[in-house]
Amino acid sequence: MLFPTLLVFAALLAVPVIALAVRRWPALAPASALLPAALFVLALLTPPEGPATAPWIPSLNVAFAWHADGLARLFVLLITGIGAGIFLYASAYLHGHPQLHRFMAVLCLFMASMLGAVLADDLLLLFIFWEMTSLASFMLIGFEAERASARKSAQQGLLVTVGGGLALLAGILLLGSAAGTFRISAILAQGEAVAQHALGPWIMVLVAIGAFAKSAQWPQHMWLPNAMAAPTPVSAYLHSATMVKLGVYLLARLNPAFQLEPLWQAMLIGIGAMTMVTGAVLALRETDLKLVLAWSTVVALGTLVALIGVEDPRAATAVIVVLLVHALYKACLFMVAGILDHETGTRDATRLRGLQRLMPMTGIAAALGALSMAGLPPFVGFVAKEMLYEVKLDVPGLLPLVAMLVNAAMVVVAGVVAARPFLGPLAPTPRKPHDPPLSMLAAPLALAGLGILFGIAPWLIAEGLVEPAAAAILGRPTEAKLVLWHGFTIVLFLSVATLGLGLALYLAWSRVQPALASIRVLDEVGPNALYTRWLGAVQAVSAWQTALIQSGSMRRYVAISFAIIFGGAAAALLAGGGLAWPGLAPAPGAHQAALVALVAIGAVAACVARALVAQVMAVGIVGFGIGILFLSLGAADLAFTQFTVEVIAIVLLVAVLARLPFRAPDARTPRARRWDAALAVGVGVIGAAVMLAVLAEPFDARIPEWMGAAAVPEAKGRNIVNVILVDFRALDTLGEIAVIAIAAMAAAVLFRRVKGGRA
Amino acid sequence: MRTDWLIALPILIPLLACALSAALWGRARAQRVVTFVAAAALLLASAALVAATLEHGVIASQMGDWPAPFGITLVSDLLAAAMVAITALMYAATAVYAQAEDVERREAEGWHPLLAALVFGVCGAFLTGDLFNLYVWFEVMLIAAFGMLVLGGGREQLDAGVKYAVLNLLATTVFLIGVGMLYGLTGTLNLADLARRVPEVGNDGAVGAVAFLLLAGFGAKAAVFPLFFWLPAAYHTAAAPVAAIFAAMLTKVGVYAIIRVFSLVFVGSSEWIPWVLGGVAAATMVTGVLGAAAHWDIRRILSFHIISQIGYMLVGIAIATPLALAGAVLYIVHHIVVKANLFLVAGAMRRTGGSFALAHLGGLWRRDPWLGILFAVPALSLAGLPPLSGFWGKLVVIQSGLEGGAAWLAAVALAVSLLTLYSMLKIWMEAFWKEPPAGEAPPDLGGTTRLLMLGPVVALALVTLTIGLWTEPFAALALAAGEQLAGREAYIAAVLGGGAP
Amino acid sequence: MEALLALLFGVLLGVAVWLMLARSLPRVVLGLLMLGNAANLAILASGRVLGTVPPLIERGASAVAPGAANPLPQALVLTAIVIAFGLMAYILVLTWAAYSAYGTTDAEALREAEPPGLPAPSPEAAAAAEPAPEGAEARDDLRRAA
Repeated sequence: MLFPTLLVFAALLAVPVIALAVRRWPALAPASALLPAALFVLALLTPPEGPATAPWIPSLNVAFAWHADGLARLFVLLITGIGAGIFLYASAYLHGHPQLHRFMAVLCLFMASMLGAVLADDLLLLFIFWEMTSLASFMLIGFEAERASARKSAQQGLLVTVGGGLALLAGILLLGSAAGTFRISAILAQGEAVAQHALGPWIMVLVAIGAFAKSAQWPQHMWLPNAMAAPTPVSAYLHSATMVKLGVYLLARLNPAFQLEPLWQAMLIGIGAMTMVTGAVLALRETDLKLVLAWSTVVALGTLVALIGVEDPRAATAVIVVLLVHALYKACLFMVAGILDHETGTRDATRLRGLQRLMPMTGIAAALGALSMAGLPPFVGFVAKEMLYEVKLDVPGLLPLVAMLVNAAMVVVAGVVAARPFLGPLAPTPRKPHDPPLSMLAAPLALAGLGILFGIAPWLIAEGLVEPAAAAILGRPTEAKLVLWHGFTIVLFLSVATLGLGLALYLAWSRVQPALASIRVLDEVGPNALYTRWLGAVQAVSAWQTALIQSGSMRRYVAISFAIIFGGAAAALLAGGGLAWPGLAPAPGAHQAALVALVAIGAVAACVARALVAQVMAVGIVGFGIGILFLSLGAADLAFTQFTVEVIAIVLLVAVLARLPFRAPDARTPRARRWDAALAVGVGVIGAAVMLAVLAEPFDARIPEWMGAAAVPEAKGRNIVNVILVDFRALDTLGEIAVIAIAAMAAAVLFRRVKGGRA
Repeated sequence: MRTDWLIALPILIPLLACALSAALWGRARAQRVVTFVAAAALLLASAALVAATLEHGVIASQMGDWPAPFGITLVSDLLAAAMVAITALMYAATAVYAQAEDVERREAEGWHPLLAALVFGVCGAFLTGDLFNLYVWFEVMLIAAFGMLVLGGGREQLDAGVKYAVLNLLATTVFLIGVGMLYGLTGTLNLADLARRVPEVGNDGAVGAVAFLLLAGFGAKAAVFPLFFWLPAAYHTAAAPVAAIFAAMLTKVGVYAIIRVFSLVFVGSSEWIPWVLGGVAAATMVTGVLGAAAHWDIRRILSFHIISQIGYMLVGIAIATPLALAGAVLYIVHHIVVKANLFLVAGAMRRTGGSFALAHLGGLWRRDPWLGILFAVPALSLAGLPPLSGFWGKLVVIQSGLEGGAAWLAAVALAVSLLTLYSMLKIWMEAFWKEPPAGEAPPDLGGTTRLLMLGPVVALALVTLTIGLWTEPFAALALAAGEQLAGREAYIAAVLGGGAP
Repeated sequence: MEALLALLFGVLLGVAVWLMLARSLPRVVLGLLMLGNAANLAILASGRVLGTVPPLIERGASAVAPGAANPLPQALVLTAIVIAFGLMAYILVLTWAAYSAYGTTDAEALREAEPPGLPAPSPEAAAAAEPAPEGAEARDDLRRAA
């Protein structure tokens, strides 16, 4: 419990500290690497431990539940170990940058989020950190925000990963309701139950979409190469130990629950293989070192996903070894690419040649990393590739062939990145090249050294790291046999063949690359083009619908409002079979009928009259007519209020109208008038129909009866309407007075404003 | 009885503030004191009300001691008490922020009494247990809002004011017609009494039609599709503090009314109600967020977001399980804080960058990183990113959708949150990241102005973070409120007593 | 009688709709007045015509005479009339203010808050479509203010 909590919160708390300290003393930036280094040592010294929980939001079933089993611990070591190197490297890479403190702080936030995500035993807690990594990477990718391309790439990365995250959230919620808990350990303890649940397929698909987006699986892979807009230390971190590995982590983590499901296996293997091929082809098109490496990351991620989908203990072991190996060499090679860029001013593979003598140390780091990547003995990359082939040979179908071709492409990438720039005659570069300071070289050299160390002595990692992690993927203990030399087997033959094919391709690279790059259709049909088009479509559709709805025409607003309100009321009335006729009882007196007719005629006159003055008069007649009608219905107080208000209203109306162009006609077109008339008649008919239906119901008069009985004895009033206003419903009257007072005030302010000519 | 006063205080305090500051017309300093004291008092009173409601359950107070349903009853359940408390917070935040900029002019035009009047109407609407009385509070709010909208003297405000006034008056009058008709069907206006009487009405069609009129009246106030025209036509023209309190409270009163009336009175009265609510919720979410995606002016973007977010709240009401209602409650509380804050930040961004138009902004992240962080907190919360308040609201709403058999609504809500993020990113990329436009920039936000503008913003951001990180009390309160709303008996019993009158 | 009132309500409602759809703002205001009248009639009718005698209690009596009208809707309508009047007065002044600002009472010409060019495809186009472009001038204002 203490260990994960300490790890995550130490990293989180360090964020503001780093921001403030580095801002004040930029020279302290390299010291920030001490944080991940210390966490790395701590993780190394702490043995794996089971899940532990502290309460957080019990009402929503969310807890601070952590676990630090083999898989989590492996990730923690990668995140902090490589993190330490990256922090050191970044502080040198961005030395003197005015925004260095922000960069280091966000990098630290990113690391903290990663740690939280892999240590969380609660799916919602994991999701929170998951989204935080997306946000932190957004800030990192967009670090050089003055460039529009950096902004766009950051936006794309965030939209794709958060979009996938939403699918993941839905998947998590379904998983939670299927399993009855959000705790990963509890879910995995239920074995196959979740996968067998009716929601099982939905859960698998949604979780996979989220993980695929994060791990840049086809067709959601496009954001990853675009993320190269980030400064190189970010790319090195993002691609090796963090961000993209998070999706792989989640698939591996939940694999025990789903590993026997054909859907799960098919999805992982299918999409993984598709991703491998896509990445391999596109890697061979590029000349930008970072882009070449980025596509090779896509290949590695596809490989990992496909391997998780293979239900086999050796596959689980292979996942862990490939993951570890890839993290080591990819971070190393990215940092090398960054050094080349930094020291020569370019990272175009066609312009970099013969640097070995000028940058010998960089060359060594590059060579060691590349040999591991190409899978040559005695590097740990060789161990990984052998395992890969061993597993994939057992899988029917095209997978072994795909794996071989893709690995050949990796040989080419290794050559382009690490051999080509250093060999041959020296080519001119924008800057005069030389080896960078040790702070930039230390990390790549160390990582490359680990690559060879683990290759010669694989037992160093087999028992302590690989076995427990592989066990977590399988959901049961397993034994990892890591050996460098398997003897002369078909696997070795495949390795040699791969190498040969790769070398041949590498030698032909200067012709293959332009040929592939000239295939324009690859740019136009891919998901990246689709994303751009989708974004444009969102903008266009939203503008279209907004202009349609929010037309700016008040007439249209009023018309739609009335049509919706009374159309809906009519539908509800008819749906409930509500049409009814209340009858004429009590029979109206002749004077009442005449009054009703008078009011109706006045109202219609207000429509028919064209001149505003006539319309005002007609409205006045209606008002007074209603007043008299009130009087005839026993509403004396009401009638007198109506008269008073009507008089003041007409006076006001005339006073204001006198200042307006009252001769201006009602400028509706005949067509508009027809439509308006139809709407007016419709609304009137519906209103009358609803009113008739209401009046046809029996009336419950207990409130007026009670009021009649209580007025004198309890409220001491004889005019019941008055008693209601000042006593029974005094709060209404309070509000009414407030309205009048505020209206007078607001109108006076507005009046002064117009008078003052400030309108 | 102590609780009687507790319920009445949130209405009396702003009333008193309104009357006093109107009487002190022209004496700005004294008016400020009145406003600040009133805001503080309202905060205290509402906190006491929340505490009392937590302790006693639903509390009711018969005004003038006339027994329900004959007089007017004030009722405070957890939802109402929470809404009053959040209103008090908004009152305080906008009152402070308004002092930062252009204050003399607004004060000369009646800022203090109008603000108090608005709060008066809002609190009344939350606490009343009487349908006609609710109409009165709506009108109090409306007239105060009319006055506030045109404060400051922008030309476009008058256009906005006319549309706002006509469409809102249309909506409240429809509401009034609905009130009259419902009285005609049941003979009562008391909400708890209505809950008992409506099922006894024989004519389902008439009940349905009246329910629709009320739904439309409230819906127009809440700015739901397709009755939201007045909102994007007006809100962007208001001054920043005015827009903030409008965005926070006015539409939410409409949502509150829908929750109150449709979880209490029209429960199961018509089969179409959940479907219409669900459809309206989805359409509101989508059309609102697309409107936000279409625009390039911060205030217009934020205005459309209000609409979109109203849709999320309606999802909760449409599903109407206790969990869904809890989601709606949590979402409303979160949304009020976040939305007001965004309008306040927008004002500070204009002050720093010189414009609300994204084309004229740029480079703010370099210039003023604190402003960036203060924008990011509510913006990301609005988009529902964890671990901010919006995430939990969204989570509960979506969870209730998945469990309540409305997976399609949950899917729409998820998709819309991605578009929300998209439009917030637009602001971030243009205003904060892009190179600043050519020409001399306005001076940095500093001194007292900075304190007055960013103080409330920081406070509201802290509330957002608190809801996000120390979620338990808020979640527990929302769940309890959801239970209260779904199990109507507590409310009815508190108002009418055990037996029917 | 009640059916007659319902029909009259329908007529007033229709007339209100017709007037509110007019292009000239004064007519829209008349429409709002009419709508208010319709609502008042709806409330009064909803209370039924229980009688036509004003609901007063004679001196000496302790209860209303039989045949008295329902007092509650009367009180409600009274409140509503006054409120509607307040709002109407404000809207009238607002109309006048709008006229003095824009020189027209044509509702369709009110496009200051929602100018025709919006929403626009780009930030620049959107800023250009605003009738009172914020930007250089606003910046100057802010500088002066500070």
